[in-house]
Amino acid sequence: MSRKQLDMTLLALAGLISFGLPLLIESPTYLQILILLFFYAYLTTSWNLVGGFAGVLPLGHAVFVGIGAYTSTILALQFNLSPWFGMLVGGMVAALVGVAIGKPTFRMRGAYFALCTIAFSEGVRVMIENIDSLGPIKFNGPRGLLIPLKGESFWNYQFMHKEPYYYIILTMLVLVLALTWFISRSKMGYYLAAGGDEPDAAQALGVDVAKYKLIALGLSSFLTALAGTFYAQLMLYFYPKGILGLDLSFEIAFIALIGGRGMIAGPLIGALVLRPLNEFTRIYLSNQLPGLHLVIFGLILILVMLFQPKGLTLPLTRLYDRLASKITTTGA
Amino acid sequence: MNILEISEVTKNFGGLTALNDVDMHIAKGEILALIGPNGAGKSTMFDCVAGVYPPSSGTIRFKGKSIAGLKPWDLCRLGLARTFQIVKPFAARTVLYNVMVGAFLRTSSTDKARDKALSVLETLRLDHRKDMLAGTLTIADRKRLEIAKALATEPELLLLDEVMAGLRPTEMDDMIAIIRQLRGNGITVFIIEHIMRAVMALSDRVVVIHFGEKIAEGAPEDVTRDENVIKAYLGSDYATS
Repeated sequence: MSRKQLDMTLLALAGLISFGLPLLIESPTYLQILILLFFYAYLTTSWNLVGGFAGVLPLGHAVFVGIGAYTSTILALQFNLSPWFGMLVGGMVAALVGVAIGKPTFRMRGAYFALCTIAFSEGVRVMIENIDSLGPIKFNGPRGLLIPLKGESFWNYQFMHKEPYYYIILTMLVLVLALTWFISRSKMGYYLAAGGDEPDAAQALGVDVAKYKLIALGLSSFLTALAGTFYAQLMLYFYPKGILGLDLSFEIAFIALIGGRGMIAGPLIGALVLRPLNEFTRIYLSNQLPGLHLVIFGLILILVMLFQPKGLTLPLTRLYDRLASKITTTGA
Repeated sequence: MNILEISEVTKNFGGLTALNDVDMHIAKGEILALIGPNGAGKSTMFDCVAGVYPPSSGTIRFKGKSIAGLKPWDLCRLGLARTFQIVKPFAARTVLYNVMVGAFLRTSSTDKARDKALSVLETLRLDHRKDMLAGTLTIADRKRLEIAKALATEPELLLLDEVMAGLRPTEMDDMIAIIRQLRGNGITVFIIEHIMRAVMALSDRVVVIHFGEKIAEGAPEDVTRDENVIKAYLGSDYATS
């Protein structure tokens, strides 16, 4: 068996397993955990486009999740438009907002950019929490928005079982992974990496670094907002602190850092490690001390940064390479 | 025809005048060396020409057009590439990756960029290092990589900032051969160099600056005999040796 055949076989197997899992898992709770795992992997992969490839550290991506959720929900509740349509509108609004934030802030390097993104997303959260309604549009302030149950309907993006949500987020994840794979091998991927590593050298080679970062942020914001709509339809309820809060933004960054920033599989591996951990600490520990799971996150992050500063994907890839070379040599 | 014309260029940083009313030009196909003591303003001149910052006054024309308002990436697209005195490789990426970043300027196809990068690496005899991480190269190979990246953008004018520094004599001979070969391929070369052996071997013409002012210009043999140049830069040891 050649290395390529092995890769393809394993990939097909992973595809088959993830496709078949809902048939095996009957408990909606466990299915929900998987759905959220994919949801976070999707969010982080979108984040990775700018936070990983472009080498900057945005820490306010929750704002785009929030824009997606609020846009599609408001359009559905108050203007009777399908959330599928609202999802696209939300994505476009988020892309515009992303570009508007990126334009002035990308000049800043290092921590200053990260601080700006935190400030902006927190600003939006506080604003939404204090707005009950804006003209005809109801935000409901800190109470958030509740989507009334209308029964199984594709048009309304509402399903009575978890399976459709599972397949929707799985599809979204596969597509966004494919997109990042494609970008990382294209001119844009090379330009983003170069601009992130050595901006002066990249510019001297004809790279308009700021322009490519803006494109990446616009695309990342767009994709992130799509997941916001998904989350709203999955939960049928959301509120500013949850969907626009720093917890969500930080969790995305944690997953990326632990999995491996700038690597295609990084977000998926990070989510595979951290999400189950998060769920179980939440289930078993949150009654004792709310927020304890974030402390544990922090501890793990410190340990990973100390021993594997580039995240877990790199050592895992090496391990796989070693195993694969054994299999392919003995098999042939 | 002059590919680059620099007229009355002055550059102030706050109260410090790094360049004062400097005129110079480079003819197409020429190798021009800019020399002078440390802090004379050589790298400042490169930065002005490459669009890193605009001169405080004066004009710079590249291929007959003023470069005022153009950014480094615009100039690179017009055919002006540079290397950095302190090399700036994309250290965590392979040599091939580094050069491909340059090659993408003229194509959007990854395959074409790879082919172009490979042929540039071959020209610079660096192809055997293509899969190494740029950060692990020796200083001589890093300097070559710096040139390879710039070359991949298909420049007409190449600015080389102290590419000989830190090289051993044999490596320097290789580098001299490479630069001659570039000129043979029709590229105009503008070098900043401290190592006089390389300057003498390479340049058609030399411009000397000192405290931001041009103090001499001419053929290498004439310039090195110039009294001002000896006093300001070369030292009397050079003249007698």
